[in-house]
Amino acid sequence: MSLNPATLARVQFAFTVSFHIIFPTMSIGLAMFLAVIEGLWLKTRDGLYLEIYRFWQSIFAMGFGVGVVTGIVLSFEFGLGFAKFAQLAGPAIGPMIALEVLTSFFLEAGFLGIMLFGMNRVGPKLHFFATCMVALGTMLSASWILSANSWMQTPDGVAVHDGRLVVINWWHVVNNPSWLVRLPHMLSAAYLTSSFLVAGVGAWYLLQGKHLAFAKKSVALGTAFATVLIVGQVFIGDILYGTMLKHQPSKMQAAEGFWEKESASPAPYYWVIAPDQKEQRNRFALGIPYLGSIWLTHSLHGRVEGLKNTPRDAQPIMGMVFYGFRIMYGIAILMFAVATASLWLRWKRRLFTTKWFLRCLVTMTPSGILATLGGWYLAETGRQPWVIFGMLRTIDAVSPVPAQTLLATLIAFVCIYAFFMTAFLIFVARIIRRGPESASIHAEASGSLKNALRPQVLDRANANAAAGR
Amino acid sequence: MDMPLLCAVFAALSVTFYVLLDGFDLGVGALLLLQPHEKSRDHMVDSITPTWDGNETWLIMTGVTLLAAFPIAYGILMPALYIPIIVMLLSLGLRGVTFEFRSQMKSYRRRWDVIFAVGSIVAACMQGLILGALLQGVSVQGVTFSGSVLDCIRPFPALCALCVLAGYVVLGGCWLQFKATAQLHGFLGRTLRIALPLFMVSFFAVGGMSLFVQPGILAAWQNHPVLLGTLSCIVLLAAFILFGSIGKRPDVRPLIAGLVMIAAGIGGLAILVFPTIVPFRISIWDASSSRLSQIFLLTGAIVVTPVVLGYSFFAYWVFRGKTPEKGWDGYE
Repeated sequence: MSLNPATLARVQFAFTVSFHIIFPTMSIGLAMFLAVIEGLWLKTRDGLYLEIYRFWQSIFAMGFGVGVVTGIVLSFEFGLGFAKFAQLAGPAIGPMIALEVLTSFFLEAGFLGIMLFGMNRVGPKLHFFATCMVALGTMLSASWILSANSWMQTPDGVAVHDGRLVVINWWHVVNNPSWLVRLPHMLSAAYLTSSFLVAGVGAWYLLQGKHLAFAKKSVALGTAFATVLIVGQVFIGDILYGTMLKHQPSKMQAAEGFWEKESASPAPYYWVIAPDQKEQRNRFALGIPYLGSIWLTHSLHGRVEGLKNTPRDAQPIMGMVFYGFRIMYGIAILMFAVATASLWLRWKRRLFTTKWFLRCLVTMTPSGILATLGGWYLAETGRQPWVIFGMLRTIDAVSPVPAQTLLATLIAFVCIYAFFMTAFLIFVARIIRRGPESASIHAEASGSLKNALRPQVLDRANANAAAGR
Repeated sequence: MDMPLLCAVFAALSVTFYVLLDGFDLGVGALLLLQPHEKSRDHMVDSITPTWDGNETWLIMTGVTLLAAFPIAYGILMPALYIPIIVMLLSLGLRGVTFEFRSQMKSYRRRWDVIFAVGSIVAACMQGLILGALLQGVSVQGVTFSGSVLDCIRPFPALCALCVLAGYVVLGGCWLQFKATAQLHGFLGRTLRIALPLFMVSFFAVGGMSLFVQPGILAAWQNHPVLLGTLSCIVLLAAFILFGSIGKRPDVRPLIAGLVMIAAGIGGLAILVFPTIVPFRISIWDASSSRLSQIFLLTGAIVVTPVVLGYSFFAYWVFRGKTPEKGWDGYE
């Protein structure tokens, strides 16, 4: 790893994109959770739901804010760090990202204000509509971005005429071979992430013996959502594995830690390896026998492909791909275990009183975020050495920006992002310390749509009438 | 249908919306530095809180429109403007995050406000630097940027930075006269009476100096003297109306005058660089993306933009009238 522009540009992009994805993952999940909670509140008029809504709304707002500002950076970074990539891929991914901004960003931004500050101005029904629109916006956003990224993984619908990329069929660009599997995979990941966030905070309060009604509801809801979602996620993941093996064999070959063209039969499932890319072998490997065949080929003796099937100059770095995958998969197994335990305890009526289980939930609070990061590391490092798989090499895509400049801005990014993260965590810690009760000092929803649309003639000296009541 | 031309129009509209809308957000942010009373600062921030996010989205829209419709230009301009763009993005980021923090953490509010103001000022200056660098012209070899990343840090872009900052402060002041209650009007009058002349002087200084740093601008004046002259007169006239309506009713008049003034300025800039997208170097047709890409983008834009404008207006409408001094939630 020398300090050349190509390496620095990649490190910078990896850092900014990894930092960014943490926040949308939370926002997508929490927006959906908030829409469900507000729907329940409208149906039951139980104040507890409003309390839960208020509590998570402030965390959502903060996370959304950090997500937006780090996302703006990314939309420019394609050109800042990878000008040649932008020039070639712009015709394909540009319109998709533009549509993302048009459809979802504005939807979120337009309704977020009403969602956060408008309860007293527009009334509960319209407010619920605004919350749903924000949730829809986050989904649409994920949809377009996943489509653009999937196109980089499995490009389709384009041709190259004298060095410029021409779109031939838009439907094939948008609905490229991996998009429709990767999108539900990411959405499930986001919903799982927020389920564990909610359950974790509830469990924390139960262990402390505080805010019991709020806490029980949170644990019950969080574990219920997580149980349903993790089962679905395992199936989606399995389908995705097959899709990727077909379209990006080099990624999946690296992901399982096998080098030889065909693994032994039965194949083990490795958990720890020390790969040696130069020698094309593992210096050390530790795994569970038979499991590789069972999980990967759905048979007892199936053989798994190794990385030597891919020529050396087109191989990703095995260590990165493998461990990204193992972090994601390991956490998924833990989630599955927690979900199973929660079902058992629910049936035994001990969900809120079993100390070890509640401690587990607290530990699992950030698990969704870690798993999502692992998954994206698998996806992105496994695509290397290509930036557009099979079309453009990352090394050929870099901008003409000197290494010193890239290094200086990388340091600036790290410092300012560290500040964001610190402030965000302090903020969340304070919200959790303060507890949900503080939500009750908010004014009850008293506005109505009619009130919001009625022209207001305001006396300059007495503008406070606008605050409702 | 001339798709590249339509895409260029859409990109120009995005920039215009961005400058007009986020201009007063940044201006309000910059003004926080001059306002000693915490209550008043809260009131100022409350006036932009519900809508700033949507306003800033037009900046991203501009960037991705370039990527989608003119990838060649995007790939040249981003490395050329590397330093001001990154500094601008980080400043906007600090500012955006501070928005959330200041409302949640009362104890450090003074510190947050300083960060907020400095972020706004730096972002405004960087946008001016970008404008100046574009007008001065970037070095291009084929379809690759061939200059130095430090090219944009020169006297002319620096003058543009001052001009844009002053313009945004004027817009911010006008917005506050429209949205804030009477207690701020004395402060706004004092500020506007300094900022507006400063903007006018720097605006015409930029105009004069540009004739010397970029031959293409001189040529544009020779080609469209009447059009550019008219727009300059509109800027002057709007500035006079603005100056005359400071602190007087109706409170919306300075804002309208300010927006007209800035819009006329942007119109002039568009005429100066037309039909190039990498100013004075590469035309919109040569930098174009594939035809289907532009059709896809425009279809989306034509369908969605009216809707976006519709509910942006709705968001402004919901939060219309004077900003309540107790904040939007109705509690201190």
